Amino acid sequence: MTEETNTKAFITSRRSLLLGVGAAGGAALAAGMSGAQAAENNGEQVTDAPLSDKMLEQQPFHGQYQSGIVTPRPAAGMIASFRVLANTPADVERLFRTLSERIAFLMKGGTPPALDDKLPPADNGILGPIVLPDNLTMTVSLGASFFDQRDWLLPHKPARLSRMKAFTNDALDQSLCYGDLSLQISSNTPDTNIHALRDILKNLPDLMVLRWKQEGSVPVLPRSPDGTHQSARNFLGFRDGSANPDASSTALMDRIVWVQGIGDEPVWARNGTYQAVRIIRNFVERWDRTPLGEQERIIGRLKPTGAPFGGHHETQVPDYPKDPEGTVTPLDAHIRLANNRTEAAEANLILRRPFNYSNGVSKSGQLEQGLLFICYQADLEKGFIAVQTKLNGEPLEEYIKPIGGGFFFTLPGVVDANDFLGRTLLEAAGHTPTNSKS
Amino acid sequence: MKLRAYLAASVFAVTAVIAPRAANAEVSPLDLVGPIAEYKIFIGENLEKLVTETKAFTDAIKAGDLEKAKKLYAPTRMNYEIVEPVAELFSDLDGSIDSRADDHEKAEKDPGFTGFHRLEYGLFSQNSTEGLNEFADKLQADVVELHKRITELTFPPEKVVGGAAALMEEVAATKISGEEDRYSHTDLWDFKANFDGSRKIFDLVRPLIEKDDAAFVTKVSGNFDTVDKTLSKYKTAEGYELYDKLTDDDRTVLAAAVNTLAEDLSTLRGKLGLN
Ligand code: HEM
Ligand SMILES: [Cu+2]
Repeated sequence: MTEETNTKAFITSRRSLLLGVGAAGGAALAAGMSGAQAAENNGEQVTDAPLSDKMLEQQPFHGQYQSGIVTPRPAAGMIASFRVLANTPADVERLFRTLSERIAFLMKGGTPPALDDKLPPADNGILGPIVLPDNLTMTVSLGASFFDQRDWLLPHKPARLSRMKAFTNDALDQSLCYGDLSLQISSNTPDTNIHALRDILKNLPDLMVLRWKQEGSVPVLPRSPDGTHQSARNFLGFRDGSANPDASSTALMDRIVWVQGIGDEPVWARNGTYQAVRIIRNFVERWDRTPLGEQERIIGRLKPTGAPFGGHHETQVPDYPKDPEGTVTPLDAHIRLANNRTEAAEANLILRRPFNYSNGVSKSGQLEQGLLFICYQADLEKGFIAVQTKLNGEPLEEYIKPIGGGFFFTLPGVVDANDFLGRTLLEAAGHTPTNSKS
Repeated sequence: MKLRAYLAASVFAVTAVIAPRAANAEVSPLDLVGPIAEYKIFIGENLEKLVTETKAFTDAIKAGDLEKAKKLYAPTRMNYEIVEPVAELFSDLDGSIDSRADDHEKAEKDPGFTGFHRLEYGLFSQNSTEGLNEFADKLQADVVELHKRITELTFPPEKVVGGAAALMEEVAATKISGEEDRYSHTDLWDFKANFDGSRKIFDLVRPLIEKDDAAFVTKVSGNFDTVDKTLSKYKTAEGYELYDKLTDDDRTVLAAAVNTLAEDLSTLRGKLGLN
């Protein structure tokens, strides 16, 4: 039997198995059984693996754009930042090709090759002998230093790419900042992300050295009976993402997110985007000791529903022209500063895709929690930098402290099996990809 | 079909790092006898140096000669770092000779904190030889005991061959950060000894894999050369610059070389048919 049919057989039986359990679980809940009873009836053991019916969810690796940008954000995310040691065009090509090959495999899943058992195994094995996709996306972006340190790439640096400068409220820990290359890894489970990261580390030890990483998560919700969706909450307990632009609108994304490769932007950068990453500590103990009304005035939205003041739904739009003095939504509320809803502010829209993080305990005995803020935009200066500049000095600053992050340029997508990440950049730099494989 | 293409791609990427082929079945245990015997001689010579140089080092401490003791600290240690894969087989001695403050509950104040790093702490952090006599005597007794035990030891081939990678794993996990010699900052001396110890093992078994796996041998030697070249930038008349002189760029180059060596050398046992 070939590996291929092997995998298919496994996947098919796995799917029916999972669907079966899912249905049984649903029936148990519907019948009003307690979780404990249901578990007992399933004969589950203490250390049985928790079940998921989402392991086969898959995002496309091939496409005009990389996945993981307008892709709905799953429950687990990570940013890993690397120093890159590939300096020559040939080494950079090997880096990009190997990344493309590994990511294509990991996002699709399959059976890693079996090696002699006297050798270390090819795969770290934490997902078992068959790797299932679990909705994985891996998004590759390059920092300004990637271009700055390579003369032959410098003329091809995306026009808006810069090294992140400290904003007024920042207390940046240099060991959590910048990087030549960022990997945004997201999937349904932290384990799938870790599996993918370890695969990359194992396959590219001579070309990439890990500098820092931050993992995060998003709280899950039960499916609503009427099929409606709501934004997930961040660690301040507020819905986060309510006013995000509609990622399913191509016209909007073309305007807000995708670099068009015209004007002063290099043509090779078309279908890429700028990634801004910020590790923003939240002082959650203090926040939890802040009156609800004040919390809501600081953010500019109602905590239970995420609606603007006077509204009932998070999708409602605040009417600032009717509220010039800020009696309804304070003028310095987070959402009003971030986007005052004037026509001019349309130029500053960004697509946010953050995760919450929780890292242990500070020296003062407080929780090290916060927001792994990630956003994408076609113009880094008009996007993140402009919005953050408007936010400088906001009342929310008393509860937050940006400590790390960086700016990156997210490469255009890999269109088909003959393509690879960064090909257009290498070609623009006059390097004809050599070790082309079919 | 796509899946197959990806699988093929994955095989390619993986093998590019670890091995163009499976473990080498053609190397017989007998082939290893020579290299292991030679390694034993190498270790013996280094242990003798360790014993004599530790004597000079600890004598300087006991004579209250702070400057001389400081000067002898790093070169003396190198003799231990180079034999570490074998020395580590005796975990009691490895602990009393080479443990760090954070291996102990009460850190520097812990009575169990002895050996090189305890003396390093006294000499470089307390800037004094005071109260170190007892630790000096203990270290000297420990290295003599280590020498004795290793002389009587039959070297397990898999430990010897595995030692090449083990040394790199040590550097990768706990040394590249400069935590090892945190009071004296003489980490680059340790690096040099660890790399030399690893390379020695690799060079001894190299003839056994060279014909079948020339690409592997070239790659590993290339990475050892990168390390040598990078470290040689920091060479001084006496030895090496202090760790804080190491630039971020060179640290990255060393980290990548160490990770790659660790990854590649992890296949060495398998390539030689060892479990
Ligand atoms: C820990 C830090 C932050 C927290 C807790 C936070 C929280 C929130 C919340 C609760 C909302 C309202 C719901 C929504 O529309 O998503 C919001 C909106 C928004 N935030 Fe933040 N945010 C943080 C950092 C940032 C940063 C760094 C930026 C960009 C520089 C930013 C930009 C925005 C924007 C553009 C909106 C939408 C405003 C609108 O269009 O009405 N936020 N944020
Ligand atoms: Cu050591």
